[in-house]
Amino acid sequence: MYDRPTLEELLAAVGIFLEKQIGPLVKDDPKLYYQTLIAYNLLKIAERELVWSDKHIQTQWERLNNLLEIDLPLPTNSVEAREALERRNEQLCERIRTGEHDEQWPRTVLFAHLLATTREQLEVANPKFLQVISQERATRELSTGMLGGG
Amino acid sequence: MTPETIKSRLSTYLTEVSGAPATLTSVQPLAGGASRDMWLIEATLNSKAEKLVLRRDLPTTMLEQALTREQEFKLMQAADESGVKVAKPRYLCVDTKVLDAPFFLMNFVEGISIGRKVVQLPELETAREKLPEQMAEQLAKIHQIDTIKHKLGFLPVPRLAHNPVQEAIQQGRDALKKLTIDHPAFEFALRWAEQHAPKSERTTLVHGDFRIGNLIVNEQGLQAVADWEFGHMGDPHEELGYCCMRDWRFGMGKRRVGGVGDREPFLSAYERYSGTRVDRKTVDYWEFLGNLRWAIICMSQANRHLSGREPNVELASLGRRSAEMQFEMLKLIEQMGI
Repeated sequence: MYDRPTLEELLAAVGIFLEKQIGPLVKDDPKLYYQTLIAYNLLKIAERELVWSDKHIQTQWERLNNLLEIDLPLPTNSVEAREALERRNEQLCERIRTGEHDEQWPRTVLFAHLLATTREQLEVANPKFLQVISQERATRELSTGMLGGG
Repeated sequence: MTPETIKSRLSTYLTEVSGAPATLTSVQPLAGGASRDMWLIEATLNSKAEKLVLRRDLPTTMLEQALTREQEFKLMQAADESGVKVAKPRYLCVDTKVLDAPFFLMNFVEGISIGRKVVQLPELETAREKLPEQMAEQLAKIHQIDTIKHKLGFLPVPRLAHNPVQEAIQQGRDALKKLTIDHPAFEFALRWAEQHAPKSERTTLVHGDFRIGNLIVNEQGLQAVADWEFGHMGDPHEELGYCCMRDWRFGMGKRRVGGVGDREPFLSAYERYSGTRVDRKTVDYWEFLGNLRWAIICMSQANRHLSGREPNVELASLGRRSAEMQFEMLKLIEQMGI
């Protein structure tokens, strides 16, 4: 449909430009250098979002089907899908506000959904953060002897 | 504002207020926050060489709850007179004709105030061992500052019929409403916060942004507590939980106190210095609430960019950083009991 570079390749080109050309140029200006790093990082977020967003919209939708107790098909048009997801999140907020998830079981299901959604956000925004947390947990379990049966 | 403009206008001002000839020998920009303008000033005042820091307002402010330069100056004076380690505040000028915005000058304190460096630099290893104890000592002193004696009536207080916990929750709700964001994780966390709110027994002055990146540290340890613009009346537990938040640990996640120490020795030291008892569960709660608030503030900051008011890549990026604090807030809820 469009000529190359593809969207992924466009982002990669800008990334290389920031890293190889702008970075060394602004190295001595702490503020500009920091903002260049941020800009580079935002490109990486956009790249990961391209990879993950379809899957994340799908899994979030399925969890909301379960949570809101209505099985609806995810709109096939991606703009409509995002809008529908936003409306369902408003609906979920309303349910939380009115106490529909206060009882233990609905609260547990809700919590699992929120944690999964936040993990998905981090897979795009900062996968390193998730890695660090899971490494930390692994060393803590080792040191408290959980693996040794203590 | 260029260093040359600052140089000429400030030497005139200093000559006037000190009643003796003042010359500025050097003016250099300092890395400050996103909302403050900071400069290192070398001057000769009354034939004496001095190093000062200029802290000036920028046209936009970070948060609405922030103090003005005048209020921050008075708070720092009170802290200084109460024996808190703080850069001595020297001159306050609210006349915007001098430097186009209110500003104050304080003594320059030698040391490092970049959190990541404080947590990671090898030469600060010994300082890091002392830091949790020194932080506890400073916090105990800050919470004991007599706000009536020092006429700090301007400090923000919880609104009527709200204790500090309720006030913090309400501020979060207000901010989300303003942003018109419907966000299930925030909705759940705010409700959980209300349903599990601890009693608030003591309201004192709190620094409001006491974290590793706001301390000036050298090889000997803590030299000064900086950035007083978020000072307010609150619950001391609020501050003990706040400085334990993961985002201020700079990769040293296991060391809960600012990436430099374990929490228990820090809290026991605080109890020793303050002569008060600390409720560990309440500190947990405030660490959670700190993450919830910081997660929402990230969204507000991103909105400064998104609204078109202040196009800025750094502000924009905070919108996607919010998820880190959301994750942490959910994990803390899980630890305390969903």
